Amino acid sequence: MGDVNLVVEGLKFMVLGMTTVFLFLMLMVFVLNVISGIVKKYFPSKKVKPLHVRNQVAANSDADDEEIVAVITASIEQFRKH
Amino acid sequence: MKNLIFVLLTFFAISFLTNPLYASSSENSVQTQKVVKVDQHEVKSISKMFSNFYKTTGIYAFLNPRDGATNALGEPLSKFAQSWGRVIMIFITFLLFYLAIAKGFEPLLLLPIAFGGLLANIPLANIIGHGGFIGTLFDAGIKNELFPLIIFMGVGAMTDFGPLIANPKTALLGAAAQFGIFGSLVGAVALSQYTPLFDFTLKQASAISIIGGADGPTSIFVASKLSPDLMGAIAVAAYSYMALVPIIQPPIMRLFTTKEERAIKMVQLREVGKIEKLMFPLTVLMLSILILPESTPLIGALTFGNFARVSGVVDRLSGTMQNALINIVTIFLGLGVGSKLAAEKFLIADTLGILALGLIAFAIGTAAGVLMAKIMNKFSKDPINPLIGSAGVSAVPMAARVSNKVGMESDPTNMLLMHAMGPNVAGVIGSAVAAGVLLSIFK
Repeated sequence: MGDVNLVVEGLKFMVLGMTTVFLFLMLMVFVLNVISGIVKKYFPSKKVKPLHVRNQVAANSDADDEEIVAVITASIEQFRKH
Repeated sequence: MKNLIFVLLTFFAISFLTNPLYASSSENSVQTQKVVKVDQHEVKSISKMFSNFYKTTGIYAFLNPRDGATNALGEPLSKFAQSWGRVIMIFITFLLFYLAIAKGFEPLLLLPIAFGGLLANIPLANIIGHGGFIGTLFDAGIKNELFPLIIFMGVGAMTDFGPLIANPKTALLGAAAQFGIFGSLVGAVALSQYTPLFDFTLKQASAISIIGGADGPTSIFVASKLSPDLMGAIAVAAYSYMALVPIIQPPIMRLFTTKEERAIKMVQLREVGKIEKLMFPLTVLMLSILILPESTPLIGALTFGNFARVSGVVDRLSGTMQNALINIVTIFLGLGVGSKLAAEKFLIADTLGILALGLIAFAIGTAAGVLMAKIMNKFSKDPINPLIGSAGVSAVPMAARVSNKVGMESDPTNMLLMHAMGPNVAGVIGSAVAAGVLLSIFK
């Protein structure tokens, strides 16, 4: 290798390599976002619905909890009054 | 004593009777030579026979290294490599057994590699040479890079890319962590430039630096192309450090983050539909076809395995890739790589350099991932916990588990595992791309 400065060569490798890796993965991120946009728009998956249902169930159950708490409190009050 | 005499007589009788048979199949010159030797034995005294036999024992071979001896592959051997070198290597393989069995260091690969190394250091036996069983395995699948690719197929079939698809920008963390590869590349060439001890060429430095990708098959793939002689040390370093991820990473992660940052909670990942999961491997493959065909053997195998998995119609194939196939190939790959643990290949100053550089590569990769995550956290609208950045060095799923564990130290309710899987699997793609870049430079 003689006069070639290996460290400079190594740094060149680094610049090329990191640029490529970042470009590749940034392109991948971009394409994945495009795909997910398309999929959301044209193929609204069934998976979304169960999510909503689950949220509703969760919301309902929260409300239920409050109701139940209220009912229990009321019945305890009743019990004490007697 | 009577028994012994009987056995010896039987031996003579058999060798006498089979003589004409051997002689007639004279197409194999080695066997013909053996016949000649047997002939000589018959006229020798019993003491001469024993002394001749002694010369074929391992003890004699260890104690009496010869000048100008060659190993099974016909390469010259130093006297040290024939005697003490072998003994030291056998103890090193015992140390690797200990690490694999008692300490649980990636036993699935370290154990076959270490046993391959043990077999490689047997004198006279020609196990790693052409025609020897490990030599045959090496020629069949490592020399031509077949086995690492089959392993990659299995990795693809085992990996769920869902967390990455749900939060694609975490892929950038997997990119940042590849800084470890190129950082240690510069370190390796700096070592050979400024110290008299090491003399790595750019090819060798590149093969070594891939250890920072924390990906065994990729390391072996690149080493077999760029620097086959250093493969043993590179594979051992890669797998040992992957096993040491839970020890190497946390101090670096704590160094670069504050307690508040470590406690950052991330938004729950969305669910990913089948169409997106099917599109993912195709997307990655298309990109690598366009940008970096040199990395398509690795990425192609990975995406094929993953495509078979997510297609849902070839569960038998994807199951085979995940279990039977990857297990079989792991055995072959481990033993084959172990053959590079022969004393003459491993007991050189370069090995120490490789072990040190591998460690540096891991440390740089971890730090770069964490710092990248900190930067992204500043600019992203959803908070990003910097701890998931360290998972960008592949080592699936160990690195992601480490992120999770360190996160829980700050806040026991903070589950980072799935968030860390995103950069973790992106790291696999990132190191395959980095490998492709290095290979394309030397094309």
